[in-house]
This record gives sequence, C-alpha cells and structure tokens, in this order.
Amino acid sequence: MDVPEKTHKGWEDIVTGRKAYVLKSLAVKMVLGSLTLSVRGDSSPGNIAACIDQLHDVFAKNAHTPSVQEDLKTIFG
Amino acid sequence: MRQHIMSIDDASALIWEDRTLILAGDEDALRQLPQGNWIGGTIPYFITADQGGIATRDMVFVTDLTGTVTGVEVTYYDQNTIPSVYSDGPQHGFSFIIIPASSLTHLSFALNAPSYKDFGVRPLIGWVSGMHLDDLGKKTPKVFNGQTGEAFEEGALVLQAELPPDKVAEIGIVNLFEQGDGDTLVFPSDGFVVKSVLVNGEKQNFAAYLKDKKLDTHLPLVADYYGVQVNISFQAIHEAEGTVQFYAPVFSGVHYKHAKPVGDYVQGFGRLLEKECSLEANRLVFSCNCILNYLYSELEGKKTAPFTGPMTFGEIAYQLLNQTLVYLQVHEV
Repeated sequence: MDVPEKTHKGWEDIVTGRKAYVLKSLAVKMVLGSLTLSVRGDSSPGNIAACIDQLHDVFAKNAHTPSVQEDLKTIFG
Repeated sequence: MRQHIMSIDDASALIWEDRTLILAGDEDALRQLPQGNWIGGTIPYFITADQGGIATRDMVFVTDLTGTVTGVEVTYYDQNTIPSVYSDGPQHGFSFIIIPASSLTHLSFALNAPSYKDFGVRPLIGWVSGMHLDDLGKKTPKVFNGQTGEAFEEGALVLQAELPPDKVAEIGIVNLFEQGDGDTLVFPSDGFVVKSVLVNGEKQNFAAYLKDKKLDTHLPLVADYYGVQVNISFQAIHEAEGTVQFYAPVFSGVHYKHAKPVGDYVQGFGRLLEKECSLEANRLVFSCNCILNYLYSELEGKKTAPFTGPMTFGEIAYQLLNQTLVYLQVHEV
C-alpha cells in the first residue's frame, strides 16, 4: 500500500489522538508516543503540521517494512 | 547463527578474515584483539545459546554481520554531534550504536534522542557499554573502534550498515514489564534525578513516596508509548537529599506507573514470546538484554532462546531503554 499524502485527514486524526489504533511497528509507535504527547502540550496548527510531517516521513522511509505496511492498512484501510 | 560467544583467539581469526563484526567483552579481552572491521563495547555478562547466562572476562561475544550487510562505515560521535545520528543513518539499512555508560554522550542521547531530527525515520539499535560489577569505581565503560585501534570512554561509535535492496531492517523489543494498577506518576521536568512527583495530581516528594508505599525498586516505572511499554529503572534513592536517581531519564508530562511483578523471568519470557513475538530465528541478526534483568531475575545459567547477546547497562531501540531485550531482524522483501 502506498503512503497517503500528508493532506489525508487520517494523519491529523492520529497525531491529535482523535483516533487510536493498535499498531505493529516499533518505530511508528515510539514516534507516535512522542508526537501525541507533543500535541497534548501544544495543539497549534503549526505543531500539528510538524508532527504530521515527522510521522509521514517515518512511514514514507520505511514503507517496505512488513510491520509498517500492516500499520498503513490498519490506519488508512 | 550470527551471534556466538568465543575465545579471543577465535574472534581474532574472524577479524583476520576481514569479517564485519560487532563485539562485546571485558576491556582486557577487547584490547587483545587485532585491528580490523569491527566495533566493540565493554561488558563481561552474556546470555549464550549453550550455557545461558554467564559472566566471563576471557571470552568475546561476536555478532557477525558479514553476508548480511553490503557495506559499513564507522562514525564517532560526541555530545555535540550525536543529534545527527538518525539523519546520518544509511538510506537503506540500519545504524548500530554503542555508548559508554555515564559518558556525556550517553546522558545527552538519553535525554534528547526523541527530539533529534529524523528520530524513528531510520533504524537505530545498540547498547550502553559497562563493566564487571567488581570493577565499579576502578574501570570505566568503553567503546572500541577496531578499524583504528582506538578506545573511548567518552563519545559513541556508530556502525552504519547498508543492506541489499531486497532486505529491510526491523527493530523489536521484548519487555516483560507492564504498567501496574497503582498510582499515576507525572514528573515536572525531564531528568535522571527527580525530587518531586505528581501522584494522581498531588505533589509529593518521590523518595518519601517510595518509602511510604514500600515499592520494590527492582521493578521499573513503566510508561505507555502508544502501546509500547517503556521502562525507567531505579538506580538509587538518596533519602538525605530527598531525591531518586534512575538509569534512564523520566520525561515531563508522561504518565508512569510502577510495574506489575513478573514472577519467574524465564517462564514469563517464554509465554510472552509465544503470545506476541512472531520472530523467525533465521532473521535474527542481533539481540541484547539488560544487566538488571540478569541480576534481578538471576539469569546466570538460564537461557532466553532464541535470543542471546550481551547483558548491557542500557539498551537502545531508537531511544534508550531499561530492563528490556532489544533485537534486530533483517527481512527479505
């Protein structure tokens, strides 16, 4: 599965904690642990956009990893 | 199998064959090895396939990357350059880091890694070097660059490894500890040493709280990072100063809980592997576990198959972890 564009609403939903998932990739989970905490402390549009950039980069640069592929399907269907 | 414990002579023979190695051993053992394509860190405690947990100053634990990686580069970092450790990682591969315990680089990495550029983007695994516990105060943890013959007690060595296009690296952890049902603990600032804590929202002195509750400090504090249980192990309680010291930093705003007891480590480990870990042993490249698990769970003579490796002063899977087994798999895709 390809990595959706950063404009996909799913990215904002996950970094803001509006939607939560049971995920597989350790990298994705560790980064999300840090990003959701960051957004809890600063929910400004600028910080949310920066968090989406970082999370998108983790998926894009690890898209061939089996667990990341599973997580893409879990989040984006 | 890519991980073996062996004599200094056997390890030397592999180095002379120009194999690409990551080594762990007592300082005196590592100093006897010839220059070659290796990095190493000091520690004399291991889990081995044949004997289980052992402490030895005369053997070297070898992780052989030859045939797995297509190229490696060894880079030295200090506390000023370590923030680029993720960005510098290979485009297709992984980085392997060894940091001497209590060095400035160790402290800086532990506190700041999640905020470094490209955190999580490229795989970073490794461990914190230490020493025999009988040598505390006499020797210092070190890392060795086999390519140059240099040893460092300050800084970090990173082996950046490229993989073939049809393989990907993936890091995993096995952590027996999970959050207990007790109080929620939140600390006001990041650090290895804390004085105050919010206990269910109420400010208290943390040292006094631990004493009052009679909490077992062999069990870590545990945070939930989006489903990953991240441990913070206790190092010391300084009652006179009213402070508590940890082996990894706590972070402000994170909700911690004292861990549930694990009972028998080896049995619990087996159950957890069956339940959660779909690991195939032929994909396993490296693993290490924590010296505190070795000590508190009395792992001497006990096995944790399929995992072997050094028992370290800190484990690194993207960031510093405590009392956790970390491992690296390489998948074909």
